[in-house]
Amino acid sequence: MAHVHFSAGLRSGFTGGVAVLEVEATTVGGLIKALDARFPGIGEKLSSGTSVAIDGEIIPDAEFESLSATAEVHFLETIGGG
Amino acid sequence: MTIAEDPATTSPGYKWVGTRMIRPDGFEKVTGRARFGADIKLNGMLYGHVLRSPHAHAKIVSIDTSEAEKMAGVRAVITGADFPDPSGPAGDQDLQRNVIAREKALYEGHVIAAVAAQTRAQAKAAAEAIKVVYEVLPHVMTVDEAMAPGAPLLHPKLMTKGVDPAPTEPSNVASRAVYQGGDLDLGFAESDVVVEGTFTTKPVHQGYIEPHAAVADTTPNGRTTLWCSSQGHFTMRSLSAKVLGWEPSKLKVIPAEIGGGFGGKTTIYLEPLAVRLSQKAGRPVKLVMSRDEVFRATGPASGTKIVGKLGFKNDGTMVAGELWMAYEAGAFAGSPAGAGSMTALAPYTVPNFLIEGFDVVVNKPKVAAYRAPGAPMSSFAVESLIDEAAKKLGMDPIDIRLKNAVTEGCQATYGPKFPRIGFVETLEAIKNHPNYKIPLGPNQGRGVASGFWFNAGLNSSATVHVNEDGNVIVVTGSPDIGGSRASMALMAAEEFGIDAARIQPVVGDTESVGYNDQTGGSRTTLATGAAVIEACRKVIADLRGRAAKQWDVSLDKVEWVDGQAQHVEGTQPPLSLADLAKGWNRTGGPLTASAALNARGVGSAFSTQVVDLEVDPDTGHVTVLRYLTAQDAGRAIHPSYVEGQLQGGVVQGLGWALNEEYIFDRNGKMENPGFLDYRIPVASDLPMIDTIVVEVPNPGHPYGVRGVGEVGIVPPLAAVANAVDDAVSRRIHDLPLSPVRILDAIINKDS
Amino acid sequence: MKYFAPSTVEEAAGLLAQPNTKVFAGATDVIPQIRAGRPEPEALVDLKKIDRLVSVQRTDAKWVIGAATPTARLTGNAELAAEFPGLVEAAGLIGSDQVQSRSSLGGNLCNASPAADSVPAMVVNGVRAVIATPGGGTRTLAVEDVPAGPGRTNLVPGEFVVELEVDRAPARTGDAYLRLIPRTEMDIAVVGAGVRVTLDESGTVTDARVALGAVAPTVVRVQAAEAALIGSKLDDAALAAAAAAASAACNPIDDKRGTIAYRTHVAGVLTRRAAVIAGQRAAEKNGASR
Repeated sequence: MAHVHFSAGLRSGFTGGVAVLEVEATTVGGLIKALDARFPGIGEKLSSGTSVAIDGEIIPDAEFESLSATAEVHFLETIGGG
Repeated sequence: MTIAEDPATTSPGYKWVGTRMIRPDGFEKVTGRARFGADIKLNGMLYGHVLRSPHAHAKIVSIDTSEAEKMAGVRAVITGADFPDPSGPAGDQDLQRNVIAREKALYEGHVIAAVAAQTRAQAKAAAEAIKVVYEVLPHVMTVDEAMAPGAPLLHPKLMTKGVDPAPTEPSNVASRAVYQGGDLDLGFAESDVVVEGTFTTKPVHQGYIEPHAAVADTTPNGRTTLWCSSQGHFTMRSLSAKVLGWEPSKLKVIPAEIGGGFGGKTTIYLEPLAVRLSQKAGRPVKLVMSRDEVFRATGPASGTKIVGKLGFKNDGTMVAGELWMAYEAGAFAGSPAGAGSMTALAPYTVPNFLIEGFDVVVNKPKVAAYRAPGAPMSSFAVESLIDEAAKKLGMDPIDIRLKNAVTEGCQATYGPKFPRIGFVETLEAIKNHPNYKIPLGPNQGRGVASGFWFNAGLNSSATVHVNEDGNVIVVTGSPDIGGSRASMALMAAEEFGIDAARIQPVVGDTESVGYNDQTGGSRTTLATGAAVIEACRKVIADLRGRAAKQWDVSLDKVEWVDGQAQHVEGTQPPLSLADLAKGWNRTGGPLTASAALNARGVGSAFSTQVVDLEVDPDTGHVTVLRYLTAQDAGRAIHPSYVEGQLQGGVVQGLGWALNEEYIFDRNGKMENPGFLDYRIPVASDLPMIDTIVVEVPNPGHPYGVRGVGEVGIVPPLAAVANAVDDAVSRRIHDLPLSPVRILDAIINKDS
Repeated sequence: MKYFAPSTVEEAAGLLAQPNTKVFAGATDVIPQIRAGRPEPEALVDLKKIDRLVSVQRTDAKWVIGAATPTARLTGNAELAAEFPGLVEAAGLIGSDQVQSRSSLGGNLCNASPAADSVPAMVVNGVRAVIATPGGGTRTLAVEDVPAGPGRTNLVPGEFVVELEVDRAPARTGDAYLRLIPRTEMDIAVVGAGVRVTLDESGTVTDARVALGAVAPTVVRVQAAEAALIGSKLDDAALAAAAAAASAACNPIDDKRGTIAYRTHVAGVLTRRAAVIAGQRAAEKNGASR
């Protein structure tokens, strides 16, 4: 069960205020698909320009990352460095 | 400079990591042999000149190049029509439109056309003979102007993203980022002390000493070689390909030495122009920017307007934080408003917060990255307000930060929990340093501030070869901006157990090494280092195998120690790298291995800084007396270059705080496009910047590395403002803190 | 664009009499201006090969400084620096260390920037410009009569400054030049103030000169400030009056380097500070400096 936390932007734009959700998923890609089924349109948002933090580690390009049974997941805007 | 502990003595018995070898590129650079982008010369090379918009905002009605094309020496003229129509995602289209204008000129300096001719003078004369008909449009230069109702629009279809409900009319606001937690009203209701203010910062340039330069050579079969200095030649390849409408593989990019980037050279300006001119002319073409062009037409950091409010309990606990922030993106969307929103309160635990960051287009050059993009501005507001609260509460500025500092396991305001971090260690390093207790005289003040930056991982590749003589070549694709070649050599030396002088670090071109993301984002020592380490370990495993073959023993009988294969039972004389290289024909062929990765285990960086300065109360002039910075580097591979990054960030932050700003006239033209009146610090302006390299190793990297290049620029803005307030009891919310502004605050204390 | 390097004043005068020619001494303004896009002249006439233009002489009556003498040689001249510390320190502020090996008093004066650092210091010391005229021969102007406005001088085409003369300083005379710049070097002065005072044995000011730079189109002599100092012992009241007079005499602009209010205020501050330093230097020079 991934524990997914939604940022304020995702809450107001896609999840209608839902802040935390438990989702069955073993990979990030699967998680995004499951979320898109529940909140249509969120899949596209999460698939580009977004990084994922899994248990505190920020990972860009996380589609095939596996999720443990207790993974805490945050979606973050991908930021650029200089 | 002072270091609290010399890393070499605290590191776990490293022989090379933590030492200060002379940089491999040093001799070339100090003797003038190093080849920077503008040094490249090819047979038959033509010189290019760019025609730029004199208007901040104008429709391009027509461009007539016929006269120019006939002029002496001219071999090619290009305009936007010579490029494919902008296509792809919005960001790609913006890049294509920024490289050369299509329908509109959106800032003074925007590229309109370019000429290649036999001499620079001929190219310039021809460019000036291009007839452009403009329909001048009204322009907007600040977020207030751009966001005002009825403001002239830069992009007729720009609809603000991130606003709910979505807008039905276009505007100059490209997007809104929002971060929220807890209950803001409750938080402020609970606060014993509330501090607030409106802050402004101006656009500032990265100030790299080397202007952009590119040489392109297109052969008749269409393959093109491009020499340029950049922060990432693979990135130059892919971005140039987007603008040219090519597959990236058609381009080979050879990295020249780079004279500073700081984020400003992570994007393209001249490169596609040089390529297209070379194609049309059938000859190599060189384009070099003047300093004037660098200022008018490359990407500064955003100017901002930030309204901030923080609430504290009497014991210093931060309970509420609210920020409304607008960042200038320049002519196209893409300011770091989002990153500024994420970093603003990141160093602190604050249960109730609302942070909004707006990305606003204005008729100025499109902004580019500059060291921790977005963070210095929002941090300026937050760290100033924390200081005001500390004063109201009678608390030491370090103590109020310690009270609220994030540690491992704390939830960041941008979402996830922090892993192992070293913020508290930087605060304590400053607090315990003798500088912090030096008594101050009249008109002198002390200011403290902290900062945070994520750092990055991303993709790197490396190849390691052992030569016949037992020396090693390490090839990466990371341009060396801050001494990374030396760091790669040190890490490879540590892995192999041989003298770092026997390691030759090389930056390979796009055809000689696997893909590397840019040198920037404080990623190179971590990610490219990780690739180098992995490639070295593959070679070492191979070497052990070769030794096992020679000794006819199983692999587990062979260990690699101090640069040699050794039999675990000591029954064979050891084999050195040179020995094993000599026999490689018989044991499997040449000794080489590559590694490529999308780096994991990134460690974030924190910095705490303190500045002592003196204000001349009659002129507002500031003298920086002392500056001390403490930053968590995880592990300093090459301490001198880590210190250099710490000091460099501070110096740039000081310039940003004290004197640097883009000044525009009423027509949207830049008034100070040169270092005379764009005032970066000169050497005599600054004392030695004292550094404390804190090492809280990052568990995600083999040597504990955390990126160091960026976070250092985050604290100085507020540190200086806090020190000025301490010196002359004037809280100033607008940067830069020039003598004019400070004297005005001293004289007009009620305004 | 042609380049000539004459070895006599007469040769130089002949060349500069041609239309569209420009003096090329240190060229520390000319080169950046051409690079910045100003129209190139037909010919550059290098004055540095003419001995008279680059020599420094001292007689019992005066110093004579070749107009193209690099200011680094002036700051390196111990006797000149001892006698006119303000003038020499002002000359030493032009540009940077590298620029100092080329910059000159003649160039600084004739470039006619309102913010030229050497000009207020030259004015308070009564420096005169000896100017070669096209017909042969020379004429002499007080330095403050050379600049006509920003970027313009009162020299007619073909004229050029050959040397700067300054009479030997009387006993108990000191000068000082201060400027306000945002950084610590390399900036153009936001305000510049030159002051020279002469004291009698009792320490009373018998002569005072005050000149401001960067606060008007050309350098400003502030007679009212001078009057406030003369007859005083540089006490607080006299200094305050001189500062107020300096502020009142300003006619500055708002530009990217400073505001009207700032320049006006700081002109007074620098005048006061320069007067104090000039007074201290005058008091130290008790005997005649011969």
